[in-house]
Amino acid sequence: MGVRKVCAEGISAASTWVLKNVFHRPAANFPGKIALYVDPRIIADLAPKLRKGSLVVCGTNGKTTTCNLLADALETAGEAVICNRTGANLDSGVASALLHGTAADWGVFESDELWLAKILPQLRSRYLVLLNLFRDQLDRCGEIDRIQESIIGALAASPETVLVYNADDPLCAAIALKAPNKTIAFGIGEDLHLEQNTVADAQMCQMCASMLGYTYRQYGQLGDFACPTCGFKRAQLDFAARDVRVGKEGLAFAVETTIAEKPHKVAAIQSRYSGAYMVYNLLATFTAAHLAGCSCENFQKAVDAYDPQNGRLQDFVVAGRSVLLNLAKNPTGFNQNMKLIIQDDAPCAVAFFVNDKEGDGHDVSWLWDVDFEELAAQPDVMVFAGGLRKNDVQVRLKYAGITSVLVEGAADVFAHISETPSARSVYLIANYTALPPVHAELTQMTAPAVKED
Amino acid sequence: MQATQLTQPTQTLKIAYLFPDLLNLYGDGGNVTCLRKRCEWRAIPVEVVMVRHGEHIDFSQVDIVFLGGGPDREQRLAAEELLRMKEDLRAYVEDDGVLLAICGGYQLLGTEWLLGSESVEGLGIIDMATRPGGADRLIDNIVVETTVCKSPVVGYENHAGRTVLGAGMLPFGKVVSKTGHGNNDESGCDGVLYRNLIGSYLHGPLLGKNPEVADYLLKCALEKRQGSPVTLAALDDSVEAAANAFVCEHC
Repeated sequence: MGVRKVCAEGISAASTWVLKNVFHRPAANFPGKIALYVDPRIIADLAPKLRKGSLVVCGTNGKTTTCNLLADALETAGEAVICNRTGANLDSGVASALLHGTAADWGVFESDELWLAKILPQLRSRYLVLLNLFRDQLDRCGEIDRIQESIIGALAASPETVLVYNADDPLCAAIALKAPNKTIAFGIGEDLHLEQNTVADAQMCQMCASMLGYTYRQYGQLGDFACPTCGFKRAQLDFAARDVRVGKEGLAFAVETTIAEKPHKVAAIQSRYSGAYMVYNLLATFTAAHLAGCSCENFQKAVDAYDPQNGRLQDFVVAGRSVLLNLAKNPTGFNQNMKLIIQDDAPCAVAFFVNDKEGDGHDVSWLWDVDFEELAAQPDVMVFAGGLRKNDVQVRLKYAGITSVLVEGAADVFAHISETPSARSVYLIANYTALPPVHAELTQMTAPAVKED
Repeated sequence: MQATQLTQPTQTLKIAYLFPDLLNLYGDGGNVTCLRKRCEWRAIPVEVVMVRHGEHIDFSQVDIVFLGGGPDREQRLAAEELLRMKEDLRAYVEDDGVLLAICGGYQLLGTEWLLGSESVEGLGIIDMATRPGGADRLIDNIVVETTVCKSPVVGYENHAGRTVLGAGMLPFGKVVSKTGHGNNDESGCDGVLYRNLIGSYLHGPLLGKNPEVADYLLKCALEKRQGSPVTLAALDDSVEAAANAFVCEHC
């Protein structure tokens, strides 16, 4: 092991130098990839670098945001952290982050759902944070049962890991029930009274095949569920969001915990970010940060300062217009974005960029599981369709009652709306591989002009 | 017989969407949206009836039935419900009722279909059987040529089971793309066409980028109801045609 590890570290350090200095690439994956080739146990061999251990974040939506914010919170609390911040979430991304970092207190890593089985058994993390499981890339991942089995296998191979899971999600709750690990449940402890979308996963009980009942439902399959036949139901929440307020100016909620004693409030959290899904992301992050010893004050400081510049809920100003760029990869993500857009009745422009590359999934039929119809009811919205599958987006929008214009990129959107007042704000929603080019265009458009002389 | 232009239809066209709460994978519910919108754009009164788990439907009261696919567990439950209405559904199909069935919903119509790796009894409405076929799922873009319309029909298939049609049963179409398989690895055909029933593996959803197929189904339904030929008002399908052409060019 020792020789392999030293060889792996050497080769990866050389490749990192070449990538960064010769090719000017961030080296988020490749060094880890070749290190894993030389030493398949490199993650386990490097894990002792992390003095207090590691936390892994997994789930369909919200991984990068939760992982980065968790790393920020721990750093604000004075801890040294190693994190795969760019979202390189396969084993090569985790290995690269470990190879690049010097000794630290904590490792905070996001992991792809299916790669967790390779990552967690090597890291033997203190905590696994499981956010949610939504329908995503069925052609790549197969159906959700397979993903659940893979996560249960990963947990079984890392028995000391505590599972911190979204108890409002019956698909995560089933994992908590079947995995042998200790668990901590988080969820929203009250009805947010949100309008429901058309298509949702997991309406059936996975334990006995009855239809699940809900006292209340937030979005997707998330809510206070119970099976009328077998008794499978949402667990008692160890960490619950209460007094939740979500509006276009942001969100606020309190966290109540029942850990160790009777229910008591441990935190009040607020953020300028909006959306019910951000309540879940922040609650998950707070729970993990709290378990790792981060104070509420430091957590709130990290939330206030959070500005990842990675195209997830990133603000720009282009030609005096406020612009919001966000990633959405699947129907739930798109539906949540739609809710953000329709919070505001002011004139706006919305562009959807959809690619169908490997990282996106080649099948784009999920576009029809998105409730674009909600946008049709807005009083003054101009809609654009972009990305490799812009024609598919345009067809879907047409059947939602929306006339859209095809665009080649972000700049094209701004060219189309240049005649309209700058009060018309812009929302750009892109899926996985469609996001970086849009992000790059916006960054360029907002970059300070370089003086020639 | 004189073709009737459907200018002022009085009776509402009823579309039954079977088990939207169970069989709703891959955006296939979009097929119902397509049928409904194409009626609305022509001012044909239309109503979508959602038949959820535990609910019943009188097939004599509907003009089009849609059946999609779902995850294994959901599909098993839907199959149990459908087995209870098997004879009614068979009578509906034999009486030239219009039915569109996609992927898992299509497989259910045969004598046997695949639940995970296990073979289970189907509705037996169509003479065909779906069986396991090796380790690989058939997953890809696909283009088929069919007799029901002039344009190539494009879609995306993703299924493990291989479907074999009984002797004399006609497929929905012939696979003409380099990628994609359709019913199985050998036949070069997709789906089934039987009376006013179309079964197919094509997601997309099928009717989104293939509006001619949608109009074929609407025409069949309207003609059956009024007992005379129908000419549907033309619609501008250039957006759909561009999306169709994109898939044709890329596979």
